[in-house]
Amino acid sequence: MDIEKKLSFLKERLTYICDIFAGNHQEHIRILEHKVEEFSQRRESLDLQERIEAITAIEELFDFTERRLEEDLSSMDKVRIVRHPQRICLRDILENVYDNYTEIGGQKNKSIDPSMLIARAYVTRRHRGKTHHQSVMVIGQEKGHGEDFRNGGSVKPWGNARALQYMKVAETENIPIHTYIFTPGAYPVEDYPGAAQQIARNLYEMAALKVPVIAVFSEGGSGGAEAIGLADRRLMLSHGYYSVISPEGAAAIEGRLRRGERATPELIARCAEQLKITAQDNLRLGYIDKIVEEPPLGARPYHYEFFRNLRREVIRATDDVVLSTRAFAPLRARAARPDKSGEYDAEKFVVRWEVNGGAAEKLLLLRHEKFNKYSRGKCIDPRSVFKRMRQGVSGVVTDAYNTVKHDILGKPKKRIVSAVEEVEAETRVLFDGITGPFRKALCALGSKSSKAPAATEEALTALSDWEDGQRNGSWNYISPRAKEDRAVTCPNAKKQGCMDMWAPDLYGEFAGVCSNCGHHFPMEYKWFLWNVFDPNSVVEFNQEIEAGNPLEFENFDQRLIQAKEKTGLKSGCMTVDAAIQGTKLVAAILIADFRGGSVGVAEGEKFLLAVERAQKKRQPFLAYVHGTAGIRIQEGTNGVIQMPRCTMAVRRYLDAGGLYLVVYDTNSYAGPVASFLGCSPYQFAIRSSNVGFAGPGVIKETTGIDVPPNYQGAFKALSRGHIQGVWDRRELRENLNQALMTMGGRNLYYR
Amino acid sequence: MQNSSHKVLVANRGEIAIRIVQACRMLGLDFVCVYTAEDEQSGHVRLAKETGGEKSLYRVSSYHDANEILAVADAAQATAIHPGYGFFAEDFRFARRVTQRERGLIFIGPSWRVIRELGDKINTKRLARSLGVPTVPGSDKPIYDEMEAEEVARSLFEFQKQCGTEQPTVLIKASAGGGGMGIEEVYDIDLFRSVYRRIRNYALRQFKDEGVLIEQRIRDFNHLEVQIVSDRSGQNPVHFGTRNCSIQSTGLQKRVEVAPGFDPSSLPYSFDAAQVLTDITEHSLALAREVRYDNVGTWEWIVARNGRPFLMEVNTRIQVENGVSAAIARIRGKRGVNLIAEQIRIGLGEPLGYTQEDITFEGLGIEYRIIAEDPTNRFTPSSGRIERFSWKEEPWLSMHTHVPTDAAYDIPTEFDPNLALGIVWGENLSQAQERGMDFLDHLTLDGVDSAGAPLKTNVGFLREKTARILQF
Amino acid sequence: MLNIGKVLEELKESPYEEIVIRAPHCGVVRFEPLEPGARVSGASGQWKEKPGTCIAVIERERNKRPIESVDKGELVAVNRNLEGTFVEAQTPLATIRHFLSKDEVLKIILQKALYLFCAPERAKYYFIPEVEKNIQASGSKSVKVHDGLELFIMSRMKREAPLAYSGPGGVIYAKYFERNENIDAGKPLIGVCPESQLPLIEDVVLRVQTEWEERE
Repeated sequence: MDIEKKLSFLKERLTYICDIFAGNHQEHIRILEHKVEEFSQRRESLDLQERIEAITAIEELFDFTERRLEEDLSSMDKVRIVRHPQRICLRDILENVYDNYTEIGGQKNKSIDPSMLIARAYVTRRHRGKTHHQSVMVIGQEKGHGEDFRNGGSVKPWGNARALQYMKVAETENIPIHTYIFTPGAYPVEDYPGAAQQIARNLYEMAALKVPVIAVFSEGGSGGAEAIGLADRRLMLSHGYYSVISPEGAAAIEGRLRRGERATPELIARCAEQLKITAQDNLRLGYIDKIVEEPPLGARPYHYEFFRNLRREVIRATDDVVLSTRAFAPLRARAARPDKSGEYDAEKFVVRWEVNGGAAEKLLLLRHEKFNKYSRGKCIDPRSVFKRMRQGVSGVVTDAYNTVKHDILGKPKKRIVSAVEEVEAETRVLFDGITGPFRKALCALGSKSSKAPAATEEALTALSDWEDGQRNGSWNYISPRAKEDRAVTCPNAKKQGCMDMWAPDLYGEFAGVCSNCGHHFPMEYKWFLWNVFDPNSVVEFNQEIEAGNPLEFENFDQRLIQAKEKTGLKSGCMTVDAAIQGTKLVAAILIADFRGGSVGVAEGEKFLLAVERAQKKRQPFLAYVHGTAGIRIQEGTNGVIQMPRCTMAVRRYLDAGGLYLVVYDTNSYAGPVASFLGCSPYQFAIRSSNVGFAGPGVIKETTGIDVPPNYQGAFKALSRGHIQGVWDRRELRENLNQALMTMGGRNLYYR
Repeated sequence: MQNSSHKVLVANRGEIAIRIVQACRMLGLDFVCVYTAEDEQSGHVRLAKETGGEKSLYRVSSYHDANEILAVADAAQATAIHPGYGFFAEDFRFARRVTQRERGLIFIGPSWRVIRELGDKINTKRLARSLGVPTVPGSDKPIYDEMEAEEVARSLFEFQKQCGTEQPTVLIKASAGGGGMGIEEVYDIDLFRSVYRRIRNYALRQFKDEGVLIEQRIRDFNHLEVQIVSDRSGQNPVHFGTRNCSIQSTGLQKRVEVAPGFDPSSLPYSFDAAQVLTDITEHSLALAREVRYDNVGTWEWIVARNGRPFLMEVNTRIQVENGVSAAIARIRGKRGVNLIAEQIRIGLGEPLGYTQEDITFEGLGIEYRIIAEDPTNRFTPSSGRIERFSWKEEPWLSMHTHVPTDAAYDIPTEFDPNLALGIVWGENLSQAQERGMDFLDHLTLDGVDSAGAPLKTNVGFLREKTARILQF
Repeated sequence: MLNIGKVLEELKESPYEEIVIRAPHCGVVRFEPLEPGARVSGASGQWKEKPGTCIAVIERERNKRPIESVDKGELVAVNRNLEGTFVEAQTPLATIRHFLSKDEVLKIILQKALYLFCAPERAKYYFIPEVEKNIQASGSKSVKVHDGLELFIMSRMKREAPLAYSGPGGVIYAKYFERNENIDAGKPLIGVCPESQLPLIEDVVLRVQTEWEERE
């Protein structure tokens, strides 16, 4: 090989090492630098043989040093590896892992979103002299080694929408999907249809996609990763990261930095460590199934052995998933058996990748069971074993996706129901037939008897009976702020000319609504609890499930104690049985006062149990979001995993014929909106609330775009099609009742 | 007044502010006025400057802003607030805040619960019915059922036919509405359903409540009022007679008020007018006793051509035309009754100090509202500048105005258009009418409107109407 | 014809206006630690979402309201003698010297160059709904007016009356009133530019854009 080429290649490797360690391990780097420098000066004076020997020696030194440095890689070093332009990207994988591929609907920057790459590809396997091409749909973010138009792999809503479109295509074609996650996070714009809404749609659809999905994580940035990450097997590259938030973002929150301020590198590194973001951490936490080893200091495009390894792993994972759905056990056993060398030889063993009928049901069942098990035991759950068993999940999962059982039990019941309805309808006609003229006759009689003027007048001027059912401005719950003698200024005062209101009027009688412009001030969650549900109908359950600190994030225990003391709650999610005008339902309430209403394992677990309870009881399910700031970052991927996990519970519930209503109040952002809340077909917002993916500060930070005030306002969310209506708080009860009466699936008992 | 350590904040402007200040001075009470930049030249500002003590005048951003009023009340160390009429006069929330805030003040008006109770028309109607006080025939609760609604309407048409009403009419109103929104008339029972459904759907859309009220629409009536006064005990209300306010503009704004409400001694009526006056007075007092009414207030009645009275509503405040009732009233034979002074006195907690037997009535009073407007063109208000304003002083005349007589005055555009109230007293109807014409003849009100043309006023309209006073 | 050069020269000689910051309502006032000479700014940002410099805080009924500078400029006077006292609405609190921006200069010159249709009396004015809709959609310059065109609704004493435009035909080049604002008689409502003179007006705009130096 050309010496010059080798030299310049070594220089590149050196740059890479420098970049990865960002000023650390200088002693090693300086030696390498020195050697390279010395050789480049001296090489003219050497003959060819000497040159080859010298450069080989340096190469060996590089290999040695890389192996040596590999042992000391910190979490932050891995973040830098993943972000480095020299890191492998999806196109490298398409070239090297698959035998042939065609990009779908985009060439370079000519694409609706060049950061999302979709390709049809196949792997070729030979078996008994026959060649098999096995097709897959490859979907993933493309960073393009730093090409500008790829937007760093930060996918816009329409990019994710296209990914979803082709997942559905794969489902139609009955081919597996391989997703490759190379994203620092989703691009947080609210342009149609909105980042959160699209991710929620993706999760909702993926929850019931009837083909195997294999996900490979390189850079798993929170919501952006989940958009294509809900998979039957989740592999992770050994130098990748999978995290709820970027270490910089976490540091900004932990350091309580204001807009524009920068966190120190030490704080960022500490956050990176604590968030437990590496492949090894996530394998330990159980959120990935297997690590795909990379060469020292991470895979770069020339690491061909790595690609061979990756190919073997994705094929094996696909085989595994498919075989797990097959009823025929011996085939599965044979497949799992390694060959003589002890290696699973993916190339020689051919498993057909179509999944049909019962196998598809099994696939879904296994997928749901897999996610349901995630994060179990990662919060404080003092419920007795018996109670847990009773509220156990697997039964519900099975119910939803076992159509055989469903048919046997479901059909006769339905028939009975419809028979009853028919009988009822008949009687009603009959009854009307009788009562109609009868009533008329009665009326005629009545008016005849009142011919005496005095009697008519008496009827028209005497006091009638009337129970005034209206609240008349008095509410069951009165905010403590209604006890302060002070004036409050409406935020719209300048534009709308609202006068200051007296706090007892505003927070008492007006229910926190400006009497001039209708602006809704935030109210306590208790206002909702006591003024929307029927009096005395609210019974809390699972209140003993308590938010914990699964990653032992520093100082977080203390802060959790503070939150618990401040609110008197054990987590940010309250789940209750309740009723609205007699209609029984199950409700989950995300409470903004408890750490911003952020969702961690305890909140996710309670939400999920509540959904399952509604499913079992065949009652409507209501999520009232008093406020949520997103996934609780201090719980790392334990929190993120609640996104697919709870969405899948919602999907099971809806597929079982439930009614899922979401009401947003105050501010609702990020993960929960981009998953189990945003996937509801019936979402409503209280006036003056905000619903979106990221707050204006984060948008500015990540995209450099200034967003107009009210960018995430309820009416904007309505115009974008994210929510289905904007409600006045004072009419919430009536509106919810109206919704219960007019919406919802087939299996609700009250219908 | 026995306790004169009070300081009254006058939360109003113009004519009523002046009268409140004068009443305070009469009672030996301190006062404080507020004004907006637009009203710098107004009479009440001048009066406060001339006669007020320290901290007796504050510029505020708006008369409508309760926070301004209360902040000034604290700064000026006021102990009570007089709302006048309009602005906060019938605002139970304001009254509640005034009394319930940490530095509590006295609201010179009925207690906030009374204001709230009588501010709700359905509630007032039901209260009246529970006491046998006559109200407009029709429903006294929101009706939600179409059959029931139609039944009520049918009865109403039948009733009107029985009464010989020329054009029977039924009103359908959205019960949650107000201010003329969601009201329609029906002339024929066959058209009832479609109108009913329209109003019901409108009400549902607009107010989220499909309840409607169905009432007889009474045409051809006289508008009468009963002036009630009651101290804080709420137990011994008295009345100060009746008024007739039937002479109004096309926009149903009062222009001439006469006390008493009818004059059977000199005019023929087709019904027993004296009995009607007694009846409405007694009914008003009965309702006042029931709610423990505890300040001044006006019970509004309509009297149909056949002499049947119906209670319409209760105005829980002092009214513009209080002076015309005072003009004919005597307490223990003494003239010079001042209802505003009485209101302040009892508002601050003093007992009334006299009973109904101590109150007598003498003669007849006419109040003219003098306004820059064009009665020939739907009473369109004119704005502009008043250059000369004068009248002839008479012992039988009292004039209330905030317009200066010694300087030009720009009519502010924002507020009530009343420029002056002229109250004329006479021993009987014909003398009062004569004096009224005399007063109007000697009244000078000249100026230019904004287009440079001579200012239009309603003086001609008032002259024309004087001859027809109290005729049904 | 208007001598634009001369007007510009005049403006350049005294290129600022003094803005008096007044108490918006009654209350106890506390000043921020700003001395005369300090630079202040008005609300800024693309949507005026960033508030202007806070000059004082006024407290009324236990509710504090910041009083912000309405424009950028230099603080020339602060009525510190009012510190901690109860002030009435409209009391002057501070004075700002504001250097005219290009837009403001343009406005002054345009007021001289355009045909001004003035308020016949003190009232609130609105465009009739169709015109308002057009202006909302494509700006006031899209609206052509001619003599006798019913253009405004005049609202006073809770009554409304239509008001027709009178004057030369042309496009509405400038609008001088806001919703819910009382306009005194004789104050301009709109500035109309006859279509024939549009190039001339455009020239004025260009000259101001090039000749006026904005100062802080």
